[in-house]
Amino acid sequence: MTLSGGLSRPGERDRPIIKFMEIDWTFCLVLCLIAGSGALMLFSIAGASWEPWAARHLVRFGIYFVIMVILAMVDLRIWFSIAYPVYLVGLALLVAVEVVGDVSLGAQRWLSIGSFRFQPSEVMKIGLVLALARYYHGLSADSARFSWRLLVPAAMIGAPVLLVAHQPDLGTAVLIAATGLAIVVLAGLSWRVILTGVIGVLAAIPPFVLFVLHDYQRNRILTFLNPEQDPSGNGYHILQSKIALGSGGLLGKGFGLGSQSQLNFLPEKQTDFIFATLAEEFGFLGCFGVLFLYGTVIFMALRIASISHSHFGRLAAAGTIATFALYVLINGAMVMGLAPVVGVPMPMLSYGGTVMLTVMIGFGLIQAVRVHRYTEVTSGKGSLM
Amino acid sequence: MSEPSILFFEVNERQGVFHRRAFLMGGLAGAGLLALGGRLAQLQLVEAQRYQKLSAGNQFNYRLMPPPRGLILDRNGTPLASNRPNFRLLVTKDKDLDAEAVLDDLAKLVPIDGTRRARILKDLDRAPRKAPVAVMEDMSWEEFSRVNIRAPELPAVTADMGEVRVYPFGGAFAHVIGYVAKVSDRDLEAAKDDPSQDQDLLHHPGFRIGKQGVEKAFDQDLRGRAGATKAEVDAQGRVVRLDPEGDIRPTPGKEIRLTLDADIQNRALEVMGEESGAIVMMDCRNGDLLCMVSAPSFDANRFVRGLSGAEYKALAEYERKPLLDKSMTGTYPPGSTFKPTVGLAALSAGIDPEIRIHCPGSWNYGGRTWRCWEPGGHGSQNMHEAIKNSCDVYFYQTALKMGPDAIARAARSMGFGQTFDIGIPGQKKGIVPDREWKKRAFKKNPANQIWFPGETPSYGIGQGALTVNALQLAVMTARMANAKKALVPRLIKSVGGVEQPSGASVPDLPFPAEHLEYVRGGMAAVANDVRGTAYRQSQLGLGDVQMAGKTGTAQVRSYDGVKNRKGYATTWRLKDHNLFVAFAPYDDPRYAVAVIIEHGGLGGATAGAPRAREVMRVALLKDPEIRARIEKPMPLPDAPPEDIVEGAAPEDPVVTPLPATPDQGPRT
Repeated sequence: MTLSGGLSRPGERDRPIIKFMEIDWTFCLVLCLIAGSGALMLFSIAGASWEPWAARHLVRFGIYFVIMVILAMVDLRIWFSIAYPVYLVGLALLVAVEVVGDVSLGAQRWLSIGSFRFQPSEVMKIGLVLALARYYHGLSADSARFSWRLLVPAAMIGAPVLLVAHQPDLGTAVLIAATGLAIVVLAGLSWRVILTGVIGVLAAIPPFVLFVLHDYQRNRILTFLNPEQDPSGNGYHILQSKIALGSGGLLGKGFGLGSQSQLNFLPEKQTDFIFATLAEEFGFLGCFGVLFLYGTVIFMALRIASISHSHFGRLAAAGTIATFALYVLINGAMVMGLAPVVGVPMPMLSYGGTVMLTVMIGFGLIQAVRVHRYTEVTSGKGSLM
Repeated sequence: MSEPSILFFEVNERQGVFHRRAFLMGGLAGAGLLALGGRLAQLQLVEAQRYQKLSAGNQFNYRLMPPPRGLILDRNGTPLASNRPNFRLLVTKDKDLDAEAVLDDLAKLVPIDGTRRARILKDLDRAPRKAPVAVMEDMSWEEFSRVNIRAPELPAVTADMGEVRVYPFGGAFAHVIGYVAKVSDRDLEAAKDDPSQDQDLLHHPGFRIGKQGVEKAFDQDLRGRAGATKAEVDAQGRVVRLDPEGDIRPTPGKEIRLTLDADIQNRALEVMGEESGAIVMMDCRNGDLLCMVSAPSFDANRFVRGLSGAEYKALAEYERKPLLDKSMTGTYPPGSTFKPTVGLAALSAGIDPEIRIHCPGSWNYGGRTWRCWEPGGHGSQNMHEAIKNSCDVYFYQTALKMGPDAIARAARSMGFGQTFDIGIPGQKKGIVPDREWKKRAFKKNPANQIWFPGETPSYGIGQGALTVNALQLAVMTARMANAKKALVPRLIKSVGGVEQPSGASVPDLPFPAEHLEYVRGGMAAVANDVRGTAYRQSQLGLGDVQMAGKTGTAQVRSYDGVKNRKGYATTWRLKDHNLFVAFAPYDDPRYAVAVIIEHGGLGGATAGAPRAREVMRVALLKDPEIRARIEKPMPLPDAPPEDIVEGAAPEDPVVTPLPATPDQGPRT
């Protein structure tokens, strides 16, 4: 019960108009700027045309923005109560995709319901964050440090990661695992365990690469390590992306003048490699500006997480933004030739509805944490329901 | 309102841990973003130039524009090798090119039969990636436009206009000029490490390389330098936009002018008819080669297009050997055309030409009978008469008097036993035998290393080991006619407008003028004395312009024990070679000609002399000074008709084809 001006009266903070005003509109503005940059680039690479990408990108963003605003006003306790169900539904869908999923590009990732196709792994990105946040909400600091109770989050992370990796969608699996681990660490895992884990993972990488990965996955990693060995085959993506970036220089070639993307030398120019298009046309300054916007989003979200009074809110917001930050860093590193080519888009900038929807739902959750930062979330003591 | 489920300090502890770790996470994210920023700076600021170059390399494509090949002209500027437009069809090889499908589509537009299809598929298979492969050459305009209209539906196909070499005279110059043909794997291999060769040009589908003659010897001059069209291309290699300002114009190849005269050359090939042999004509004043024909010839244009295996086989296996250049690569015994040279040698050796030798038709020496071509004998003769009669007995004995080394010295001075730098490869030296030669030639057979006296008499009549080529015969005749300079032949008049050194700037012959004059007199008698061996066949019919010459027969088999060689040999292969050398006008020598008719039969007068006369007439009539000389003394209406009859040939020889060597008796 913190006292704060007119909002001190009981129930006052539950009024929709107040909730609406409590949404972090600066944060929203930054999101709009990023999505707008994406639309601008999509407009450019379509040859100065709204079709086929830019217009739809904006329309989608508009719809998802409304969804985000609505979700922002959903009480944190409701978020709390649906945490486990969402996770379980996500898990069930992942199992379903194993059984009846569509095979596309050699991987089982999609589930069709009527004409609606979606990737269950996207549901899991939200579901895992919610479930872990809820579980840790009822866990003492000591238990979170290191105890048998941590077997539960380990299982909660492990199950979806294994399922997604089996599709196989290594990029998303890594993303989900990293998000889960970020929450575990944020919740207070012992440094000694973290250190042991890091060493263990590092030691496990070489045998994993050699024996578990599919050929194409291994090739991507080998190509990343030495892209010049096959400039027209597997190394093509990385090389062309680097050419696009490098040739942009300080100020870029100018809007609509990026030869790499306009003449199709750049693969996946509208999705995974859109950052390279941006770099080519707007140069170092343009890139730096967009990276700054992403940084702003991350720091604002972390600040929202920090001011939350509930542990659930803290972990949910931080976990969501961890996913987002991982997206940005992995895609950025991939485009700049610092990481292997994995199918991770640049959130909000890349064309593609599914990821943008997930990210915007995540921002809805973050906004909800902010709007309901004083809400006491009480129920649950580590219990599963 | 709510029950605290966790102790308060615990709440604080959890919050504290979270804050510290969230701060850490923020720091990590910030560090990650900074790392990205640093990488961006590295790529975009430090290495920007490198990537800008790579990007431009992606975006712009220079498509090679082959240079027009230099023309080859005759002395008067008539093109002997030029270029004509060629509509052709190219298929660009790409990683995902479905050659079969493309050919199926093309077959609906242009005729592509089974063998051609197989060849195209093979070419495509061998071609490097992104290299255009010529599918069809020489399409008609209709075919070209039919393909061009549908070009958008056939992305891998381009129809373009190139240039192709054309030889307007077909076979007349085939041996001298040679031909161009597709660049072979061997050519590519040879040129691989040569920095002076434009590798891209060599790989261009329309490019042809000189394979023989002038085309080969001056290939680099004729080639020129390739240009390029600048085009913006997309990742699939499709041209998005042309940039004419960025074009680099090709530099055309240099023009090469030969000393040959197209009219003389064509007439020479014409008079050869079905015969096999060579005619070489040289200007006696400066060494310029006016004609250099080898017959039978072949159509060089066929080689440009690419010869089929059967065609090549037919050419290679024909017994008259069209592919052999008989004007300089084929060597023959000179026979009696060598006698003037022997005469010169004798004069140099101090033998008095007025000493008369009796010819009873044969001569016994060294235990065998040496026959003269005239079984009845020539009676008593001096050297002048012996040359006129081409008496073998006289030259058997004269040769024996001076020995082989003296003859060889004179032969080399006259141009035998050597090659001349005429700019194109292919000359064979032939053999001028002497004692030194025998030592070298029979290294493995010491018993044969000494010169046997029995070899000398046949040397005196141009037989034995002696072999010469037609070019050498022409040089000998020209030197004899010039009577002063040791002329050398010149074939290349100018390269790219730069005049080549003339064949007249040479030292003098090592013979006194009176010796040369004496032998020339003998040669004049051959053609103009009514009893000369080639009198009837040597009348030019050009007023007082007279020809001097020498007949020759070269045996291709032994006639030992045969009393009379007339009409002896039957099959073509066993007939004697028939030779004739001549120069004209006798009183002011300008043109020297050498004719070799392979297996032309006994007596140089029958096959050789009439052809020499025809070629000579063309040369003389083209010469304005000679023309003026012929036309000046207009015959008066009341002039005695005998004069004209005597100076003229039996029939009008300018337009009629050759008299088919009819009634004249064979003379050696």
